[in-house]
Amino acid sequence: MSGRFSAAERLTRLLSVIPWVARHGGTSLDEISRKFAYPKSDLVGDLTDVVHFVGVPPYTPDTMIEVTIENERVWIRYADYFNRPMRLHPGEAFALLSAGRLMLDVMGDDNDSSGPLLSALTKLGTALGDPDALEIRLGDAPEETMSILRGASVTHHQVHIDYYSYGRDQRTERTIDPARFFSDDGQWYVAGYCHLAGADRVFRVDRIRKATLLDTVFDRPTEAPGLQLLDPAAGVPRVTLEVSPGARWVLDQYPHDTTTELPDGWARLTLPVAARPWIERLLVRLGPEVRVVDAPEDLGTAGRNAAAARILARYGR
Amino acid sequence: MTKLERLLNLTAALINAVVPLTAEEIREQVGGYGGTEGASDTSFRRAFERDKDELREMGIPISVVFVPGTDPPLTGYRIDAREYAGAVPELTPDELATLHLAASLVRVKGLPTDAAFWKFGGAPTERSEGEPIVDLPTDAGVGPLFRAVADRRVAQFRYNEQDRVLEPQRLLFNRGHWYVSGFDRGRQDERIFRVDRIDGEITTGERGGFAPRPSSRTEPIVRAWELGDSDPVDAHILVDADQAIWASHHVGSEAITETRADGAVVLSLTVRNRDAFRSFVLSFLEHAEVLDPPELRADIVAWLGAMAS
Repeated sequence: MSGRFSAAERLTRLLSVIPWVARHGGTSLDEISRKFAYPKSDLVGDLTDVVHFVGVPPYTPDTMIEVTIENERVWIRYADYFNRPMRLHPGEAFALLSAGRLMLDVMGDDNDSSGPLLSALTKLGTALGDPDALEIRLGDAPEETMSILRGASVTHHQVHIDYYSYGRDQRTERTIDPARFFSDDGQWYVAGYCHLAGADRVFRVDRIRKATLLDTVFDRPTEAPGLQLLDPAAGVPRVTLEVSPGARWVLDQYPHDTTTELPDGWARLTLPVAARPWIERLLVRLGPEVRVVDAPEDLGTAGRNAAAARILARYGR
Repeated sequence: MTKLERLLNLTAALINAVVPLTAEEIREQVGGYGGTEGASDTSFRRAFERDKDELREMGIPISVVFVPGTDPPLTGYRIDAREYAGAVPELTPDELATLHLAASLVRVKGLPTDAAFWKFGGAPTERSEGEPIVDLPTDAGVGPLFRAVADRRVAQFRYNEQDRVLEPQRLLFNRGHWYVSGFDRGRQDERIFRVDRIDGEITTGERGGFAPRPSSRTEPIVRAWELGDSDPVDAHILVDADQAIWASHHVGSEAITETRADGAVVLSLTVRNRDAFRSFVLSFLEHAEVLDPPELRADIVAWLGAMAS
């Protein structure tokens, strides 16, 4: 009788197991169970009680699948209509190509794995058509930097970085313990203890000017470093803005506390502000598309106007 | 007879059928449906409809066609063996292992890959180490568009309040967003669209609906200021040294036309969308400046003048 899988889950497995066993013959039950994530008791039950009774009309013996299990090994014969596995679903192909493309970028060219991965992707690509039909870009960090950070996060080596903080508009050098290398919302990040800040920090990889691998090894942290780029609870100042319909991307882009829809299609939101250059930049870019409702004085319209005047000075105004 | 057995029998019968099978034939002949004696009409219908849906959800291509030689024409069902099986590439153990590692490190939202590895003959038995480092988001439009790109199907959708007919050539994920690019039949030129900004449904045509054509774009980086319909203008901006590395990662190092002694760089950009261009330049605050053309310089000055006064 049925195990813990649904009929559809077992069917998906069987449609791959049947052609594979039919081709190889004499396969061990343990191997099938491992390769197809199929609990052995379910597998044996499904093969002997179900597959063995499957066939096509008129269900004469020559049209039925024959399953033989002997000494923990399986043979499947007369399953001609299931002689090949199902074609890859577009979603599966898409996910595999995406994953492979991305990992090629992360691993760079010098890795032992990139050769087989590249050939696997080429085979996948040829089965689907144009291998260049899909491209994944996460941030625009150089391969060398990505490779150093990813490697260091696995081997637990410290890294020295020259970092440009966009929020603070400032360049600093620091040593970090890169505990985690990951991507979120289209960007690569490295997270870990920062010896300059004396606390856990998250760094965007495309803003790292240079990363140098150090010989020192750090202890694996007991807790994964937090992934919040900006902790909204940390008592940072807030500004309340109203943005036009054309500037609604602000709602998608930045963490905010509350949103109120306004009758004229504008939206009101309250944003935590980590650093002054960050809010100046936002207000200057949005211009008439944003109204400041409430803000500490230097973070509101006055701060924006001062920033605009500084930029204008570059244009000789 | 169990449901699993019935689904297997149905799949086998439809693959094996030379002539499409009518619902009546399926009821009478396929093991598990109980023949004409067993189930009532309604319970047969219900079971058959549910089974069909379930198989289709798994990606099994059940087609509905008229049975040749019937008058009045009868509806029949079959599974085209070539469409069902297609080409699953043969991977070496090394290829399989690295692909499996990649798939365990990079997850695409809503698109599991376990079943794909079973089709390759099972996942590698050694577990891949490492927690996922990427969870790639997807938009509703990405699935249909990927299929359209893979099968060369023409895609139609509404974008910027206009109807577009696109020969989709590639999908691109860049800075958190999916884009589709290809030949826009209405504009007779290559265009690129942000998938999450497509209004409503995407309809796609027949497989092989257009001939492949060489893409003139070699540079895949999507820049917001290139996503527009206005005439392209070449612009140069000067970015200070501290911001230069970030700027060059952002636009691509080939956009740098000059590096000055102090480390500042001059970037050359093609502008089709002036609002997006202005927004990009201003994101550097006072650390960047539009050098030319004069009209784009004037645009920045006017924009800022309205605030600084």
